[in-house]
Amino acid sequence: MLDLTPIVADVRRGMIPAHIYNDPEIFALERDRLFARAWIFVAHESEIPEPGDYVVRRVLADSFIVARDERGTVRVMFNMCLHRGMQVCRAEMGNASHFRCPYHAWTYRNDGRLAGLPFHDEAYGGEDGFARRGQALLPAPAMDRYNGLIFVSLDPDAPPLRDWLGNFAFYLDLYTRQSEAQVELRGPQRWRVRANWKIGAENFAGDSYHTPHTHASVVDIGLFREPRASKRKEGALYTAGPGAGTTYKLPPGGSFDSQLRYVGYPDEMIPAMRASWSPGQRALVEDSGFMVSAATLFPNLSFVHNWPQIDEAGTVAPFISIRQWQPVSERETEVLSWFAVDASAPEWFKKRSYQAYLMCFGSSGMFEQDDVENWVSITDMAAGSMARRLLLNSRMGLTSADKPIKPPLAGFAGPGTAYQGFGEFNQRHWLGMWSDHLAGASDGGAR
Amino acid sequence: MTGERPLPYGDPEHQAAHQFLVEEAALLDAADYAGWLDLLCDDIRYIMPVRVTTARGAGFDALADMGHFDENLYALRKRVQRLATDHAWTEDPPSRTRHFVSNVRTFPAGAAELRVESSLLLFRSRGDTRPPDLLSAGRTDMLRQTADGYRLARREITVDESVLRTQNLAVFL
Repeated sequence: MLDLTPIVADVRRGMIPAHIYNDPEIFALERDRLFARAWIFVAHESEIPEPGDYVVRRVLADSFIVARDERGTVRVMFNMCLHRGMQVCRAEMGNASHFRCPYHAWTYRNDGRLAGLPFHDEAYGGEDGFARRGQALLPAPAMDRYNGLIFVSLDPDAPPLRDWLGNFAFYLDLYTRQSEAQVELRGPQRWRVRANWKIGAENFAGDSYHTPHTHASVVDIGLFREPRASKRKEGALYTAGPGAGTTYKLPPGGSFDSQLRYVGYPDEMIPAMRASWSPGQRALVEDSGFMVSAATLFPNLSFVHNWPQIDEAGTVAPFISIRQWQPVSERETEVLSWFAVDASAPEWFKKRSYQAYLMCFGSSGMFEQDDVENWVSITDMAAGSMARRLLLNSRMGLTSADKPIKPPLAGFAGPGTAYQGFGEFNQRHWLGMWSDHLAGASDGGAR
Repeated sequence: MTGERPLPYGDPEHQAAHQFLVEEAALLDAADYAGWLDLLCDDIRYIMPVRVTTARGAGFDALADMGHFDENLYALRKRVQRLATDHAWTEDPPSRTRHFVSNVRTFPAGAAELRVESSLLLFRSRGDTRPPDLLSAGRTDMLRQTADGYRLARREITVDESVLRTQNLAVFL
């Protein structure tokens, strides 16, 4: 039987028992105490723009239909027939007015209501034997949206999503609201890796320290000029609400417009960014001089914003990716990686940005390739007996007395706490939330 | 392809196309990526759409606007340059790959081009104990006759899985 108390105590002091990255007992606790309570991303509204559009997404083992019904309302419904439990919709996406179970033909409207079952009178004696009225596919216990991002929680008492997002919404806007049109998502690319889901989430939350080495090859070939150690350590790491992220330092003295141009945004997009961002969001770019890069929203949704060179002429094009680390087991993760772009951006920009995304991230991306190799290896190593004797040092940025080796960054325009340079503040922040959930402390959706 | 008849297998153009694919596979399995780049036209388009599971009758089973690859020569050259650096960890130690090419059918396509359809099974083994990965795909290629022989002008890879079971596409198909 797993004794969680010392594990959580070690994690909280930044010493990570290595086996948590490949341990079926830990995974069961994550399922029951974390994924049963937290807000989990399932889709973006741009994936289901028209009535009848749907996608099928999972929260661990639970399959949900995310559909826009005939009246335009977004519904998230457990994809299991009320009668014998078949998966009602077995496609990944499409457009349908109804979903019909292949087993006994029970049929549901795209808002989930049971519309028909064969031989209702003969088999059930009509409404008296089985009241069809009021029957519907089980709705997700809680569903809420922000900037078109659709989240569900398996906890009906989950706090409102906006409350849960807290200060991280400030940063989320920078990825998902570059104009009032918000973003459109394409994809996802889906692939399965033999790695524990936590590793990617932690990495995107704040591991600027890995970039100069893991991603040395993309600097070698001149694809992206920023990841050099000299640049990376000038970036700020921030924690805010349930999120944490990394930034790059922009060239000194730039204006809002020139900084956005530097990372490749065309002049026709900049006024909309200026108009849809708050003074604080603009100040992060203009006054503090930081541009967001990778981030993670607890537990398993990550973001990345980079600006590689997409041709021999050195044209810089920025891209945004949203990705989910969907746990399959303690040792396997399905990665869902979307390309995201401002919906009102010019088509030529969307094309460039898409090209930049494919070269850098996703199933074939030149950054991501080397990341996954590392994460698979960690998961392999974490399976054995020796991993149970090893505490991984995740205390970067702290003295032995638990004091930051340097003070928080003054004048950082974003909310939360920021430090400049390398540190594992963000991973500890993420692991702190993980600990709160596993230890059952009241945090967010916890009951 | 409805009704269209491939060239007879004894046709010299079919044989040249088949040999092109087999020689190309040999270069890839030998990790001779510089040699592989030499087989590509300057205007190469190399695409691999994301496949999706849809209802019969949905009218599509791939995403029109999202691929695993959507490459021009610049992007492919960068990938090859990267693999040649000392820091492409995902292929160091390198995978052992075997590109099995079969079901080759060749169709005339204009004066100097052939359309070649083939099946590909890529076996990829990494490390000593990991289970190997398999990628099954169909390919539709456009081969262009040049002064140096046939060159690849376009490749569309129709992968047979919606969710890939390989850790990344640090390989070419």
